[in-house]
Amino acid sequence: MAGTGSPQSEPRVPGVAAEDRRTTLARFLAAASGAHAVEVIGLTPLRGGAIQENWALDAYFSGGAFSGEQRLVLRTTAPTGVATSLGRREEFAVLKAAFAAGVTVPEPLWASDDPEIVGKPFFTMRRVEGTAAAHRITRDPALDPALPAIAEQLGRELARIHTIRPPRADLAFLAPYEEVGPTHQIAGFRAYLDRHPTPRPVLEWGIRWLETHIPPPTEPVFSHHDFRTGNYMLDGTVLTGILDWEFSGWGDPHEDIGWFCCKGWRFARLDREAGGIADRAPFYRGYESESGRSVEPRRVFFWEILASVRWAVIALQQTDRYMIAGERNLDLALTGRRATECELEILMLLDPGGGASGA
Amino acid sequence: MRDLPTGPALLALARDVLLNQLMPLLPPKAHLEARLVAKSMAIAEREAILGTAPAPGILHELEELYREGDEDKQVLLHRFARDLRVGAFEQGEPRERDAREILWRLTIAKLRNANPRFLKANGFS
Repeated sequence: MAGTGSPQSEPRVPGVAAEDRRTTLARFLAAASGAHAVEVIGLTPLRGGAIQENWALDAYFSGGAFSGEQRLVLRTTAPTGVATSLGRREEFAVLKAAFAAGVTVPEPLWASDDPEIVGKPFFTMRRVEGTAAAHRITRDPALDPALPAIAEQLGRELARIHTIRPPRADLAFLAPYEEVGPTHQIAGFRAYLDRHPTPRPVLEWGIRWLETHIPPPTEPVFSHHDFRTGNYMLDGTVLTGILDWEFSGWGDPHEDIGWFCCKGWRFARLDREAGGIADRAPFYRGYESESGRSVEPRRVFFWEILASVRWAVIALQQTDRYMIAGERNLDLALTGRRATECELEILMLLDPGGGASGA
Repeated sequence: MRDLPTGPALLALARDVLLNQLMPLLPPKAHLEARLVAKSMAIAEREAILGTAPAPGILHELEELYREGDEDKQVLLHRFARDLRVGAFEQGEPRERDAREILWRLTIAKLRNANPRFLKANGFS
């Protein structure tokens, strides 16, 4: 998930000085890449990623296939997270599968679970240029003429992600679709609301609608599960990478489409239904041309309602990290307020024309 | 009896100082955090004026829906949520419509506090 995160110090192993840490990391990089030696030139926190920590890692490789200066990202886990996200080793495997499927992603390089290197599991990937800042992307008038084509390309990228199908030995850690489909998700939402101290009548109403409108089963595909504006990188008008794969797993192909289009991810442009960047038409066109399958609006509608419920629950969980886990982060503390925005969207979709009495 | 200016007035002034006087002096990397601080102050200001509980009118409508006036309001809200989960209002049109009206009013009232701009962007005053 995108976010601001709090100011971070360099990843650390308790009792180990920063200099020794860089040396240990450099040794790991050398061994993993086949270099004679590696010097870590810079390690600085990157913005974005409320659940994971991302570090800009600049290193000089002497010898081996990566000889020269390399601009990388080191991705590790934040102090508290969301229970449903993948571990870093698993996210690394997912990124490799996406890269092999031709999806535009930063090339994944090396991963380690060794706590002696940076204190927790991590992986490295190439650093791609550009911005993922959703408000900037949806607000910048200079980008406007290019956005429909970008939406179409994102449709094609999504179709490529969906070419990955079960069973996959390299992705055997992913829960079977039967355990993550709509019925399971609905049960998860209700279990969370049962633990939440404040009643959420609109979410309960929306979940009830979902429960009574589950679409017929379909062949599952590999789904990003957080495919949206804010999770892709643009360098000017060039798409340079699909980011943040920590929620990925098997899913209904329409699930990612509903998530991309739901109002919660349109940022400054609520009127542009495909991620705040374009109408749905170019996005759907890109998806259909690459996949050879038609987008079914009724299924998208179901998954869009589910997306609003899911985003509301995630928003509340983010604030739990402040309220319950004690993570002192203003962004997280405020995110829970967005749940009511999702509730308004649920009402607008399921009761169009309603709300006159409350206005 | 409190001294003036009021808490909400002080928050409004402090927010103005933050955004218009301090923000230009801050490095760009601190702007996002400063905006979050300003946003928090705006929410606190609105809640200080409007209160944090659902509007009394909405709670009264809940009492009407259940025809019970002596139950604790929060308990009633929990009961409403539980009933919506099991589709308790789906049997008859008037009660279903009444329940939906309460959902709308509750949501719009909360957004007036949390994010009136979002409300306006969606066509609600």
